[in-house]
Amino acid sequence: MTPLLAKGQSAVAGEVAGDRGTIPGPRPASAAPRRAKALLERLAGPDEGLFDPPGPRGRRRIAVASAVSLVILAALVWAVVHQFAAHGQLHAGQWRIFGQWPVIHYLLTALWATVRVTLVSGVIALPFGALLALARLSHTPLLRWPAAVYVEVLRAIPLLLLIYAFLLGLPNLGLHVPLFWQLVWPIVFTNTAVFAEIFRSGVRALPRGQTEAAQALGLSHWTTMRLVVLPQAIRQTAPALISQTVRLLKDSTLGYVVSFLELLNAAKVLGEYDHTVVQAYLVVALVYVVVNTALAATAGGVERRLGGAPSSAGRKSPG
Amino acid sequence: MGLIVDHIGVFGSGLRVSAEISACTFVLAALLGAALAVCQISPVLPLRVFSRLYVGGVRSIPLLVLLTLFVFGLPEIGVVYSLQWTAVTAMGLYWAAFFCEVLRAGVRAVPRGQIEAARALGLGFGQTLRLVVLPQAARSIIQPAASLLIAVTLNSSLAAAVGVTQELTGQTELLDQQYAQPLLTFGAAALAYVTVALWVGWLAGALDRKLAVSR
Amino acid sequence: MKATASLPHTARHRALAAGALAVIALAATACSSSGTSAVPGGGGTKSAVVSHSDSVAALIAAEQPATDIKPESTAAKIKARGTLRVGGTQTAALFSLLDPTTGKVAGFDAAMSQLLAKYIIGRPSTRLVNVTAQTRESLLKSHQVDTVFATYTITPERTKQVAFAGPYYQDGLAIEVRKGTAGISSLADLNGKTVVTESGSTVPTAIKKAAPKAKIQLFDTNTECTQALSQHRADAYVLDQGILAGNAAGNKDLQVLAGTFTKEPYGIGLPLDQPDFREFVNTWLRKVEANGTWAKVWKATVGTEVPGAVPTPPAVG
Repeated sequence: MTPLLAKGQSAVAGEVAGDRGTIPGPRPASAAPRRAKALLERLAGPDEGLFDPPGPRGRRRIAVASAVSLVILAALVWAVVHQFAAHGQLHAGQWRIFGQWPVIHYLLTALWATVRVTLVSGVIALPFGALLALARLSHTPLLRWPAAVYVEVLRAIPLLLLIYAFLLGLPNLGLHVPLFWQLVWPIVFTNTAVFAEIFRSGVRALPRGQTEAAQALGLSHWTTMRLVVLPQAIRQTAPALISQTVRLLKDSTLGYVVSFLELLNAAKVLGEYDHTVVQAYLVVALVYVVVNTALAATAGGVERRLGGAPSSAGRKSPG
Repeated sequence: MGLIVDHIGVFGSGLRVSAEISACTFVLAALLGAALAVCQISPVLPLRVFSRLYVGGVRSIPLLVLLTLFVFGLPEIGVVYSLQWTAVTAMGLYWAAFFCEVLRAGVRAVPRGQIEAARALGLGFGQTLRLVVLPQAARSIIQPAASLLIAVTLNSSLAAAVGVTQELTGQTELLDQQYAQPLLTFGAAALAYVTVALWVGWLAGALDRKLAVSR
Repeated sequence: MKATASLPHTARHRALAAGALAVIALAATACSSSGTSAVPGGGGTKSAVVSHSDSVAALIAAEQPATDIKPESTAAKIKARGTLRVGGTQTAALFSLLDPTTGKVAGFDAAMSQLLAKYIIGRPSTRLVNVTAQTRESLLKSHQVDTVFATYTITPERTKQVAFAGPYYQDGLAIEVRKGTAGISSLADLNGKTVVTESGSTVPTAIKKAAPKAKIQLFDTNTECTQALSQHRADAYVLDQGILAGNAAGNKDLQVLAGTFTKEPYGIGLPLDQPDFREFVNTWLRKVEANGTWAKVWKATVGTEVPGAVPTPPAVG
């Protein structure tokens, strides 16, 4: 997908949304529900423009479907909560430990360990990923080939295997690496390859005209890259980079292999100490959701400031 | 090396269980992911919000956390069934979020003009989706879906951490426990995983080349 | 038994079998540049191994430092460093369990490691490095820890890779069932039944021998195993008797069958290439067992939940 098309798309999407906004509803809604609806629409995200702005009958049908789905979703939530309560899992005693400062402190320390791994790995892997992408895009086979081999091989090896190789293989070579780095280096090696691929697909998704124009102006390959291609590619690939960073954060849960104590381990210790496995994991799951949502939101803010339009370029497959 | 040869049957049966778990997980994830994707492109606001929150939430949680919650949490609300299927349920729900994203990216890859043309012809939401969008989206999701299948397979090893000891990693763990040879046993298991991943990747590549339409 | 383990994870994309050799080579080049030392992990690792109860603290205070440490010996090197690096776990009730509310690790293993540190260094200065069943041998081999205190059963396979001081504790496998379970009275009765146990324990090997048709379920921690038993996921829970007794004490629906079925001698894991240190630790073990310290530690830790008189420690060496 070219960015040109992406721009066209967002224009269409805006138009559709605008249409829907101007068509008056059956009853003018008061301010509060309208704000609530606006919030929900933000949460719901952009639609894909698969349907026309609905007419009166369509609106009625949508309203009915909304009501029915709301009831079903509410019933689902209620059933789970009710069952939990019925089995005494919501009893205050089961949760008391998570209100104690030392336990909160313990969780925060573990979270900090997770965040540290993420930050350090990300800070190392991102620039190296960019360099690797450049190498793979260069015209010199001497640069291109090693970069391609590195990327393909490292993306194919499960991270866990890499961590084991570090843990079990390095001592045999007489190398002793602190635990923190035994976790960070494998994550860096893998993610450098993934980041490189994201950058590269971002570069390749740029309209060829951009490079051609730069060349027509007499810019060299590297100047073109630096001034024209890379700035746009980074903007293009921001969403993919963010989701890869979230994945990187989740990679840190492999820390248990090298006995590095991060957030997931904290859940295990708390569950063992208090005999409340479900509660401990629920709390930690919540922490992961909050942290990753905050990460995505921050990155989204940065992206908006950069002025990049979200596009499918460089979007990575999940995994 | 003799250790591996002597216990090749153990690896075989472990691999079979792993394949079974992965296949069931993938099918479940595909069905749920499709449902989520339909919710997300539908005009019904609560469904769209639900789908977005679900995908966003689930993607933030490490799979192992979700697995543990299901294995130990479900019995607490009175739902107990076999460990293997509990693990499949949790993994299916997890990967559904990713599958939904794959499908949505596929839908987004269909040129907007196609959709507008369909609407101009008077096709409804269902018809546009069925006759125009999905057939084209399907082709562009083969590679991402294959990546997903590989991810599902490699991560099925996490089931071992919640007691599904019959699968490959669990069996490897047992062997390692007995012979204290982690490098050898886990190396062999890793080789098996990498082989499967290679094979799936190659298959997807072949399928992709066969079906791909250049636009 | 024990030392938590769990397994894999992780997805990457298409796979090529380019092999661990390339990986290790890459790793080698990269690692030489990593000089920064990092304290491992959040949560707990930095905390000293301090036993919970006051009586253990008193015992540690009373422990006399060694006076006969030979220069150039392993013990002298540890003394010069000022901390004993202990491989252990944070999730073994009665032996080495982290109390997140205090940041301290309590239990029999924790107390013993501290006593040893006091004996060598003159103060109970230890650093706990979390180990798992997969990592304890390699951490010892690479000298990333000086000792492993992790309810580490001495087995012939393991003695090929690491040295053991001790045994310093003797337990045996026992069976825990839900109350009212009929038809299980020995390991052989477990044929065809689902048996839950901790990953990283010696139990699977023992069960495969006694009841080859038993279905084995592995979980990481004692609490998870107990829950699996209570939630009817398994018919029986097999583990060292001391730990099971502790469970049954806190859970009225469970009971431990009488009798133990194997002998599980726990050793202190040491690097294979430091025979002088093994001698040193064995001498210390004989001393604490003879002067009654061992019995007092047992009483203050395992003895708080396991009924009965203080057992006789196994013969060292």
